[in-house]
Amino acid sequence: MREYVGTPTQETRELEATRKFNIVAHNVSKVDGEGLVLGRPAYTDDLAPRDALHVKLIRSPHAFARIISIDAAEALKLPGVACVLTWKDCPRIPITRAGQGNPEPSPHDRFILDEYVRYVGDEVAVVAAEDEATAEKAASLVKVEYEVFEPVLDFEKALDNPTVIHPEPEIHEMFPIGFEPKRNIAAAYHMEIGDVEKELADCPVTVEHTVYTQSQQHVALEPHTAFSYLDLQGRLNIVTSTQNPWHTRRLLGLALQMPLSRIRIVKPRIGGGFGGKQHVHVEPYVAMVTLRTGKPAKLVLNRREVFESTFTRHEMRVSIRLGADRDGTLRAIDMKLLSNTGAYGEHALTVFMVGGSKTLPLYNKVKAVRFGGHVVYTNKVSAGAYRGYGAIQGLTGLEAAIDELAHKLGMDPVELRRKNMLHEGETSEVFRIMGEGTEGVAMTIDSCKLEECIRRGKELIGWEPDRLAWEVAPGRIRAKGMAIAMQGSGIPLIDMGSARLELQDGGFFKLHVGATDLGTGSDTILAQIAAEELGVDMKDIIIHSSDTDHTPFDVGAYASSTTYVSGSAVLKAARSMKQKLIEAVARKFGVAPEQVIYERKRFRTADGAKSLSLEEFSFDTLYHDGEHMQTIAVTESFSGEKSPPPYLAAFVEIELDRETGKVDVINYVAVADVGTPINTSLAKIQIEGGLLQGIGMALYEDVRYSEKGHMLSHSMMTYPIPSREDVGRITVELVDSYEPSGPFGAKSAGEIGIDTPPAAISNAIRNATGVRLTKLPFTPERVLMAIKEAEKHI
Amino acid sequence: MEIQEYVRPKTLDEAYQLIVQKRGTPLGGTAWLRTYAKNLPLAIDLAGLGLEYIREAHDSIEIGAMTTYRELETSMLLESRFGPLFKKCLGHIVGVQLRNIATVGGTVAGRYGFSDLNTTLCALGAKVVLVPGKVIDLAEFIMGGVSGPFLIEKIIIPAYAKASYQQMRISATDFPILNVAAAWTGTEWRIAVGARPAASHMCPKAMALLGHSASLSDETISRAAQTAADELQCGSDIRASAEYRKAILPALVRRALMEVRA
Amino acid sequence: MIITLDINGKTERAECAPGEMLTEVLRRLGHVEVKKGCDTGNCGACTVLLDGKPILSCSFLAVRAEGHAITTIQGVEHEAKEFAKFLTAEGADQCGFCAPGFALTVLAMKKELTDPSEADIRHYLAGNLCRCTGYEGQIRAIKKYLEAENA
Repeated sequence: MREYVGTPTQETRELEATRKFNIVAHNVSKVDGEGLVLGRPAYTDDLAPRDALHVKLIRSPHAFARIISIDAAEALKLPGVACVLTWKDCPRIPITRAGQGNPEPSPHDRFILDEYVRYVGDEVAVVAAEDEATAEKAASLVKVEYEVFEPVLDFEKALDNPTVIHPEPEIHEMFPIGFEPKRNIAAAYHMEIGDVEKELADCPVTVEHTVYTQSQQHVALEPHTAFSYLDLQGRLNIVTSTQNPWHTRRLLGLALQMPLSRIRIVKPRIGGGFGGKQHVHVEPYVAMVTLRTGKPAKLVLNRREVFESTFTRHEMRVSIRLGADRDGTLRAIDMKLLSNTGAYGEHALTVFMVGGSKTLPLYNKVKAVRFGGHVVYTNKVSAGAYRGYGAIQGLTGLEAAIDELAHKLGMDPVELRRKNMLHEGETSEVFRIMGEGTEGVAMTIDSCKLEECIRRGKELIGWEPDRLAWEVAPGRIRAKGMAIAMQGSGIPLIDMGSARLELQDGGFFKLHVGATDLGTGSDTILAQIAAEELGVDMKDIIIHSSDTDHTPFDVGAYASSTTYVSGSAVLKAARSMKQKLIEAVARKFGVAPEQVIYERKRFRTADGAKSLSLEEFSFDTLYHDGEHMQTIAVTESFSGEKSPPPYLAAFVEIELDRETGKVDVINYVAVADVGTPINTSLAKIQIEGGLLQGIGMALYEDVRYSEKGHMLSHSMMTYPIPSREDVGRITVELVDSYEPSGPFGAKSAGEIGIDTPPAAISNAIRNATGVRLTKLPFTPERVLMAIKEAEKHI
Repeated sequence: MEIQEYVRPKTLDEAYQLIVQKRGTPLGGTAWLRTYAKNLPLAIDLAGLGLEYIREAHDSIEIGAMTTYRELETSMLLESRFGPLFKKCLGHIVGVQLRNIATVGGTVAGRYGFSDLNTTLCALGAKVVLVPGKVIDLAEFIMGGVSGPFLIEKIIIPAYAKASYQQMRISATDFPILNVAAAWTGTEWRIAVGARPAASHMCPKAMALLGHSASLSDETISRAAQTAADELQCGSDIRASAEYRKAILPALVRRALMEVRA
Repeated sequence: MIITLDINGKTERAECAPGEMLTEVLRRLGHVEVKKGCDTGNCGACTVLLDGKPILSCSFLAVRAEGHAITTIQGVEHEAKEFAKFLTAEGADQCGFCAPGFALTVLAMKKELTDPSEADIRHYLAGNLCRCTGYEGQIRAIKKYLEAENA
């Protein structure tokens, strides 16, 4: 059944049937592209006032400790030091830093500054001075005394550990999420459809697989940056590199006990996010300094602070059990996760649940499925939002287990999936049961081109099920592996975005959206949607985004929501705008609105007797129409009733050196169904970029700690992200697909790219060596040691 | 980082005097300056002293201490004598922007464990020339250093050798987990292993097995490779364990020797 | 100390400490096109040309840059705009933080290498890290750009 956004016109229905778009589904250059390449001032640090105070944070050298005292006397004597602020200078209000809608599914378990520090790098005190050198010097002069405790560093030992990381009485959940801090549990969840144990006991073939997925760092090239100042009205203005301006404002207001009307958050251009900026990070500290001193304040995290003291991906232990018939019919899936949320519980429950909610529906025909586990605290850096958001972890286990089942059955892994996977027109009970933190929303899949993705992917990689591994030179094996994935498009009935269109003299439109462009190009694609619907050119849409004072609300850029949710709001606004324009012009023509035709920037009556250009009308309505003069503006909002998943089929070819364990990706093929790609090149790049990040997680990236909880991998020297020489080729294609509930048929492309590489590469390594790896990343050492171990048992 | 006093001497001699008498720190490529130095009382800039050259001299090639990695890897002279050896041993190092800055002298003086260049130079039988004219075997210098302040003027390598460089890294531009270089100089076989994670070390027992002939049997090569693994110490660090280094050492040595022999 | 720098053909005087790296001084002079991405010399976002050769300005003492010609992306604006067209056509200008340093290195590569293969291109640009694009789009853009330039 088709659903439409706003009120579709006949024209729109025809467009959908023929999909003859003028601007959408084309390659349109980003509106800000040239400016960014030329390095014009655009990012927060480029825009900060020259005289802003430099803020420096003092951070804990201990993984778990209580601050006994902070002596800032020496530091304050230094000329140029403006203030030193500690936990005694903050209201004691527990908040979460997670950029999520209200009420947040994350526990309110942290204070801006606390008496306790819970990981190496946790904030202790805030120093502000006239320049960076003085701030650093002052910070080094502050004397802090700690009472050091034994930290909990192993997430498999955290549950019910005698050391309780969060004993504070004030912390709380916003609604039941399984929060039991006395047991070091940040969240817990469990669901079952059917009877998994009974089903598994009855299955002739079962498979078990456990894999450990590591923390991963976002490594957006721009470090977290914010500056703040008081405007003429004495309001707190913060310009910050954030993915969620409204959540930041709300949480900051709560933490600082300030009315939201006194706070403004602006997002300028930001240098990447990937979820790493979907939280409150640096804003409270600049805010505190500005409020205390009345002066502008700026904080730029150095790269080490970004590694040590922002957030990472949740480390997980993923345990899968599958049960099937001998003909390959999958009958039961049991998925148990243990997730490590680090020192604080941001995104604890939701990442955990997505591990199941965005993987299990892939195999929707099982008789029984069970999902559950815990999210535990440890004295490591907090884990938070990161592209993939649990789906990549869950999929790493699930898709490896599916391949193991294929091996056991002697089946082509592709055919096993085709036999059991989700198809268009079907549904999964998991959609209804599992939302993001709460119950989900039932959904029928109106668009799913996984079959086509698989067919094309097989073609591109040259998939021959009887030849999945072969030797190219002594000890050098080429092998292929595959995996499928799904994600979502926004969080139904929780994510909301709004758009405002206003006609300007000159016949162009202001488009204001809250939606947050991280560099993804959302400003461009939202303008494309408006231009397409309004029948104008890109140059006729001037877009401005992400300013809580000037643009309408949007939850922000996460959960792959921008195209589907914010884009739908833009489409609704464009349709309403057309309606309003037609009504206004009809009144001018003295006819009923139904008699006015609008096409190619011109209004006319059917007989052509009356005609008026859009540009002429824009002057009339602002200058000439007497008592009928008005600004023509509309604001529309959208929250999805569903979260239609994009899909992806991945096929990888690797070369593996048996003597060293080195695995190189020769070709990574990914064929995706994103619905209509609003911008063909931007959609493709999202997937290519996501894939390389996933390959990084599979092969190269690892967050390493010392025995005392110090992060060893705290620079780009010790945490290398993939360079352009690391992967041979990435081949991405998009299949023809159309999602009726999405704007011009679009779904999303932001996260789907990252999900498959660890599973696909694990499957390829298995095909190459017979060995199934159980810990990410698949470094040469892990691969070699696993091969040697297996050789011992032959 | 902080520098209290910065000086640009006009001659090599002046630079040397400042280093010895005033305990100044010579500035080579400064690629590692921020990482390894926080506060220098006196910094002596070696740029502009005419130490950038790659030139022939008798039956050797002299490389000035301020010659950059990029100059080494693009040198037609070095390519004509050693093939793509320098391209291979330097090509994994971060990027051209770093290689336009990092210098031979800075790398040799630093005796860094991870250095790919030092391992290769050791295999070539390089010599270090310290101002004012003291010549030391590079392998010895890497292992033991020298006491007191010193200033490197140039590195001397043979005019010709057949050499191979092998390595293992987790990702293409990361630091090496292990590097190996082997060379036939015309009279002897040389094998050096570095990034153990400790600095480059020769493999005398393995080298002794190889004799003084250019041709080697497969069996000899395998034995030498295993001997090299047995005679060297390896350690663990953030990138790899000692066991892994030991496990791949024979393979890398074998590949290096086979490439040279071919 | 006061140093005199030749930046994009103009003489600029700057107050700096002897231990300061070039990135700091350039940004302080208003050249925000030179970015700080990593603090350890790994990412290439701080790339400038020194006498035409790409270097890491974060690992080069500002005082040492005296007497040399420094070029930022603003100094080659015309060529940069040309290349930008190809980059934006591929959608490969994502967050843009790596872009000025990367574009400058591409322009340097064009002068240094004749008819580079894809492997040559990847190798020359290996020191310019990008987390957004996966590099494929950038490679497509460079190939098309070089083809158009050579036509």
